[in-house]
Amino acid sequence: MFKIKKGKAMVKKRKIQKVLIANRGEVALRIIRTVKELGLFAIAVYEKPDSEALFIRFADDAILVGDGPRKDYLDPDRMIWAAHISGADAIHPGYGFLAENAEFSAACEKAGIVFIGPSSDVIQDLGNKVKAREIMKRAGIPFIPGTDNLSSGDKGIDETVEFGKNYGYPIMLKASSGGGGKGIRKVENESDILVQLPLARAEALSAFNDEKVYVEKCIEAPRHVEVQILADHHGNVIHLGTRDCSIQRRHQKLLEIAPADLPADVLETMHETAVSAARETNYTNAGTVEFLVNSKTNDFWFMEMNTRLQVEHTVTEILTGVDIVREQIRIAEGEALEIPGERVQLMGKAIQVRINAEDPKNNFWPEGGKRVEVYQSPGGHGIRLDGMVYQGYKIPTEYDSLLVKMTVRGYNWEQTIQRLRRALNDFLIVGPETTIPFYLAICDEPDFHKGKFDTSYLDTHPEIFNYPEKEREVAGLSKLIAEIHAKKTNPYAY
Amino acid sequence: MKVAKAKLEERITPRDLREKGVDYILDKIRRSDGYYITNTERDLSQSDFKNRIMPHTQILVSEERNDAGYFSLEITGGASVHVDMLRKQINPLEKLEVLSAHMPDTMFQNLCRGINLFGYRPYPENVIRLTVRTFARYVHVWRVFDFLNYVPNMIPVFEEVKAAGCILEPCLCFSTGPEHTDKFYVKKVGELLDVTGEDIVLCIKNHGGVGTSKRIGGLVRAILDKYPDLVVHYHGHNTDGNDIGRIIEAVRNGAKIVDAGDHAFTGFYGPPPILTVIDTLEEYGHRAVGIDRQKVIDTSTKLRPQRECYKDFESQFFGFDPTVQTHKLPGGATGSSFEQAGKGGFLPLMPEILQKELPKVQKELGNWWSVTPGSQILWTTAVNNVLKKERYKDANDDLKNLMLGRYGDLPFYWPSDEIYASVFGPDWKETVEKEKGYQKIVDVDIEIEKRVLEQRLGRSVTEDELVLYLQHPNDAVNFFKFEEKYGKTWVLPPEIWFKKGGFNLGEKFKFSDAFGKQHIIEIGSKRKTKSGDVVTYLVIDHHPEPILTEMEQEAGGVRKKITLTAKEIDALAKSGDIRSTLKGTVNEIPVSEGGDVSAGQVLIVLEAMKMLNNVISEINGKVSEVLVSPGDEVDTGDSLVIIEKSD
Repeated sequence: MFKIKKGKAMVKKRKIQKVLIANRGEVALRIIRTVKELGLFAIAVYEKPDSEALFIRFADDAILVGDGPRKDYLDPDRMIWAAHISGADAIHPGYGFLAENAEFSAACEKAGIVFIGPSSDVIQDLGNKVKAREIMKRAGIPFIPGTDNLSSGDKGIDETVEFGKNYGYPIMLKASSGGGGKGIRKVENESDILVQLPLARAEALSAFNDEKVYVEKCIEAPRHVEVQILADHHGNVIHLGTRDCSIQRRHQKLLEIAPADLPADVLETMHETAVSAARETNYTNAGTVEFLVNSKTNDFWFMEMNTRLQVEHTVTEILTGVDIVREQIRIAEGEALEIPGERVQLMGKAIQVRINAEDPKNNFWPEGGKRVEVYQSPGGHGIRLDGMVYQGYKIPTEYDSLLVKMTVRGYNWEQTIQRLRRALNDFLIVGPETTIPFYLAICDEPDFHKGKFDTSYLDTHPEIFNYPEKEREVAGLSKLIAEIHAKKTNPYAY
Repeated sequence: MKVAKAKLEERITPRDLREKGVDYILDKIRRSDGYYITNTERDLSQSDFKNRIMPHTQILVSEERNDAGYFSLEITGGASVHVDMLRKQINPLEKLEVLSAHMPDTMFQNLCRGINLFGYRPYPENVIRLTVRTFARYVHVWRVFDFLNYVPNMIPVFEEVKAAGCILEPCLCFSTGPEHTDKFYVKKVGELLDVTGEDIVLCIKNHGGVGTSKRIGGLVRAILDKYPDLVVHYHGHNTDGNDIGRIIEAVRNGAKIVDAGDHAFTGFYGPPPILTVIDTLEEYGHRAVGIDRQKVIDTSTKLRPQRECYKDFESQFFGFDPTVQTHKLPGGATGSSFEQAGKGGFLPLMPEILQKELPKVQKELGNWWSVTPGSQILWTTAVNNVLKKERYKDANDDLKNLMLGRYGDLPFYWPSDEIYASVFGPDWKETVEKEKGYQKIVDVDIEIEKRVLEQRLGRSVTEDELVLYLQHPNDAVNFFKFEEKYGKTWVLPPEIWFKKGGFNLGEKFKFSDAFGKQHIIEIGSKRKTKSGDVVTYLVIDHHPEPILTEMEQEAGGVRKKITLTAKEIDALAKSGDIRSTLKGTVNEIPVSEGGDVSAGQVLIVLEAMKMLNNVISEINGKVSEVLVSPGDEVDTGDSLVIIEKSD
């Protein structure tokens, strides 16, 4: 059994006073909240288009880092500059942007700023998916057949063709520095390589400033299950259970569930595998080990390890009661983990949905530029909201269209779905189209009820998109009455 | 039912028609010792309220009207099918379905313009037949006319009405003048009976309310002298204030059915009051068969407060118009003519148009009957003649068609050569010789029309919807789209539907939706949003809810509308005007100004939804302009690159 190890002599402790959050939106606000709970000073940064963003209002101080969009949030120098002028002694990168940028982590270390996350070496190793595979291979962790980084130019094409010949199609092209669903392209046959490979490289270059890609065998309709890890500088590694992120659209997670519905022995093996993966890499801070699971056999393979806070960390938090960001900061300060692994309990079932200003019926087209004219959110038992939306919020065209993440917890699966449905119905958002009706349709879908879903769920359940536009007759009538009132005449009668 | 049993037995109900057939009903009318009344709700609404009387009002008094014991309720046809969709946003067939459920003991009647159905121009025969079959589900009595009294124009409708087991009521359109003799009309009755047989009701259709009571009495007598068993139905308008007189004389001379309206809503151009007809004829010893007088009164008592809601649609001019004897405008068109004159700014010219030009045009063009679509032709021509200060200049196609005999033979005489020359130009003789003749409208492919409609709506459609689409294509599509967005709004009372100037804060409305569910809506506060739209807070069934209304922006407003469709973008691309097919960010521009491009070459790489999308040239040419740079946000339809096409 695992025992908390404390006070190793070589671990340098450093008390953090001011945390700069090198991010925006809901994750910035989420980190600010914990920073303030710890009695520390929270400093936000923002690009000009974010001047009216919600997270800024909650920070103790806010630094304008540039006109953006996106480029200043992605600029390590601007962040370190902002930390210096604001007197921040630590930086939390959130997710996306600079979160998995090893150079940034290194630059922080060099500048004497605590980077709240793993060391730059670890980020470097795990961020390079090919290298990560080598490490995991050494540790005897099962992984999906794949290549090293492809050579540049036409040679890379030949290598891809070769791999396809050996392992069969479909195969996946993945950005070596990628993550978050970016830079992944599926190749169905040999002739498709010529089309997809240049696009994959270009995307990788644009998103990660690194055009290297590698090839991986595509496992058809797997489940996507990941394990949340916490590791301190004293050699303590614990897991906080699993998350099932199978319901995705184009490799982007939409809805996450904790814990994954897998047999106890499979879960146990997966937890142990994840912990040993973290140990093997000398991992510190919070991380996530992602696995692909064969939906029929429950065999699983290592996919990648994310060296950052995940968007869906909230499902784990609501289930365990652990504040992952708090642990991240304490670990970064050199403190030992307070929570023994066996004390971590998974209480019930939790689901997180991302409520985006997108039109699900129009291929999830973002509603950028529209304004949220009215916003009322649900509440009550088992509901958590992490958002950037407020009444009057204008959906940015510069950034993503997330409005709010809602996490619900229930005693069991059925109650959790009932709570999710209730809470979704309690939302009142006027202005943009949102993904709420889409999630409501999922709530009523029988396979989802039975827990039967994998990454092909949306493709195999197109009926979800046939949700009715209007649920009540009175809604249309009210719309017309409001229109007659607003326009001071009935345009359909005169 | 609260109706007395004796009354009920005298009545004629849809059940009688269904179970015993047309002959039984005609016999019952012939044998009765009095006359029957048709409540001409539709004609009253059209003549005095611009067709706007709402289903809510009709349902409000449906019980009283059902119990009043009319021969029929004239409730559809004429212009109402169009206006139902255009301004009342109700499916005209659904209206009939709903009303017939409320009024199970009353036959429904319509007015059908023969080959022109419920529209203004001739329809193909297959459309006519399908339409009649569809409406025959709810319409028991079919009043059918042709503005030239040209019998062939009515035959397809006649046949379908009979095949559907409904009561056929062919019309003699009536007017006055030296040609309009009893002899002429009696002969016309013979022509009608030749094609219909005698199991019909004959309608004398006095749409203008012209002629004296003596004249109408004489006509009825002349017809019955020749055809004693014929059931005659007199229909008139009270434009000159004397339709009661004509009705009295019609009945005294043997008419068995007459038209009148509910007194709470009677105006100047529609039917006269039912109650006055009943009471006057009573003294002459003629009994209104099946009528419950008290229910007639109750109907109007309940209707009276509703009239206020319709005041915007009453005539701009109050008072009867006895000059109708010369201008002969039909009651159903008088209100709209004044409205048009008001909107067109020529109200002061109305006396000249009505009293001088219109009677002149009427005579010059053949002194046929001023009723749809002929009344529109006469009216438009007279207005043009006056406004343009030159007669018969720039004649419209309807007048040309009429003068070429395409709508049928003119009954008395053709216009003079001078008028032909004005309308068709100096070579009029050749034109007329070459083109004169009856125009047979070619059948449409109804399956293709259905597919077109389905494509326009993006869904499958019912046969009823198709029938409505075939009547008035664009207005039907607009209505279907309205219904998709707002639902069945005809449940709303007129005080909501026609409200101007907005509601009062705290104002409360109670109504049932089309599915019988009760709702209470209370008006709350309202605010303007930053983008110029309006959010109204309504308390809907006790739940406060904000509702966003998008307001049209004035010219030069900030709102940018996507005006190009994917098809249009594609068409432009083929001409070298390359536009974005999506909303995204410009990622890369592999071409530069002045460079040559060939079909299939990547012009621009756009990033949207984290995916890269190539914009590919469809043509060979030279890049003359690059309108965006990397990092630019583009919207669907925005210009990206201009290519000069090379041959």
